[in-house]
Amino acid sequence: MSQIEIRDVAIEYKKPKSEESFVAIQGVSLSIEKGSFVTIVGSSGCGKSTLLLALAGLIECSRGSIRVEGKDVTGPGKDRAMVFQDASLLPWRSVHGNVRFALELQRWKRDDIDERAARFVRMVGLGNFADYHPHQLSGGMRQRVNIARALAVDPQVLLMDEPFGALDAQTREVMGDELLRIWERDKKTAVFVTHSIDEAIFLGDRVVVMGRNPGHIRDVVEIDLPRPRTAAMLDSPSFIEYRRKLRDYISADMQALHMVEDIA
Amino acid sequence: MTAIDQIAPRRSFAAGPFIDRYYGVGVSTLSVVLFLLLWEFAAEWNWINVRFTSQPSQVYRAAVVIFQTSAFYHHAWVSFSEFALGFGLALVVSIPVGLVLGTSRSIRLFVEPPLMALYTAPRLALLPILIVWLGIGMASKVAVVFLGAVFPIIVNTIAGVRNADQRLLLAARSFGANKIDIFLKVLIPGSLPAILMGVRLGIGRGLLSVIVGEMFVSEAGIGYQLMTYGQGMHMNNLLVYAFVVSIFGYGLTISVRNLEDHVRSWRPAS
Repeated sequence: MSQIEIRDVAIEYKKPKSEESFVAIQGVSLSIEKGSFVTIVGSSGCGKSTLLLALAGLIECSRGSIRVEGKDVTGPGKDRAMVFQDASLLPWRSVHGNVRFALELQRWKRDDIDERAARFVRMVGLGNFADYHPHQLSGGMRQRVNIARALAVDPQVLLMDEPFGALDAQTREVMGDELLRIWERDKKTAVFVTHSIDEAIFLGDRVVVMGRNPGHIRDVVEIDLPRPRTAAMLDSPSFIEYRRKLRDYISADMQALHMVEDIA
Repeated sequence: MTAIDQIAPRRSFAAGPFIDRYYGVGVSTLSVVLFLLLWEFAAEWNWINVRFTSQPSQVYRAAVVIFQTSAFYHHAWVSFSEFALGFGLALVVSIPVGLVLGTSRSIRLFVEPPLMALYTAPRLALLPILIVWLGIGMASKVAVVFLGAVFPIIVNTIAGVRNADQRLLLAARSFGANKIDIFLKVLIPGSLPAILMGVRLGIGRGLLSVIVGEMFVSEAGIGYQLMTYGQGMHMNNLLVYAFVVSIFGYGLTISVRNLEDHVRSWRPAS
């Protein structure tokens, strides 16, 4: 059995101030093997972040089930840690304090917390910035802190919700490399949501393509590129082929949307 | 940090760090000195009637005398303890109440109408009732200080909690935070600047309340002395007491503002 089993999941939101509900995702099934890196890509509104939040236990499924290591996900758990987009760091805490924050919440032993937080701050290359506050850091550095915070609690599964979405293109590439370098060490299962096709291919063992209305999985593409991945692979024929295939899926999705809007 | 951030906070062009720091203090001091000089010489040259306006040098001489009497310290102590008790009580009550009201929508909806009515009503209008209930001694003044200070702190604490960044709450929950964790580690530190702003407003209102309360009816205190000197046309003494109140209020407000700045230091200047 796979480490993560998502079975026929549907998630509905109540629209505010009305009885209607909005179906964010429907009929989503996916299995994720331990130690694999799975990326989820799709146009905005396809429910990819919703699926990730459900995996984190922050949203309930309306139907279906999500299991991690055979146990139903009913809420946040120590087996999973989330890396959010920008601005999820406590602005009044230092880099070190923000990593501590997660360890404090998970009731690590007081004596271990400081040492462990410092170790993970060093691991993401911010050893000299441990006492800085988030507003003194660049966007890329803030995301390093976010990653350190999630890894420090030693989760089985790392969930990442467009962690590099707010970064400029160059920083984004550097961060992708860096993330893989860290991931290769102990190969924790990683689920990474992005809207960048290149990022999805570059990082993932498998790319899950989602479509919209309501959000569903269109296809799961195996990425057969060797690891460690390098920037040179971005121009390789197979990478270009993957990119073309994924782009077709997503642009078809966008066109369908425009047609619906034209009719309306 | 972009280039714009680096330049934007600078206010004056030519000034270096040293001049920058002392420039503001210098200009403010100059304004006070000029005002005192103008006042002194306007009285000296009979542009204004000293009987009604007094004169800085006379006020200074009166202050020297007053500060040597034990009566002054007695009155100051009475006012100070009324203020301190009322304000301390307000702090103890308002911050927990504000935190609870900020988090619970139903309690807030239930309590908000009377709270807002009391916040906007002139509380000094309640003074006659308080005196009927609590007498003309300290208790009525403590009560009126409490009423003056408690609402701005509650209202600002509520605002601070309600403006809490949802993304931070979500991040905390994702790491398994329980309600108490969220209170202690996210909501309270996050709303500290707002709470302190409420405290600062509360100081002004509390001071006003204690003085007016004493002026209205009492047996001792700075407000009582202000009233007595006013009725006797002792402008010099009256101004000494008024000055003492201002200095006290100013000092307290500045300290809270410094605390606010310190607490806000983790935020980029805006």
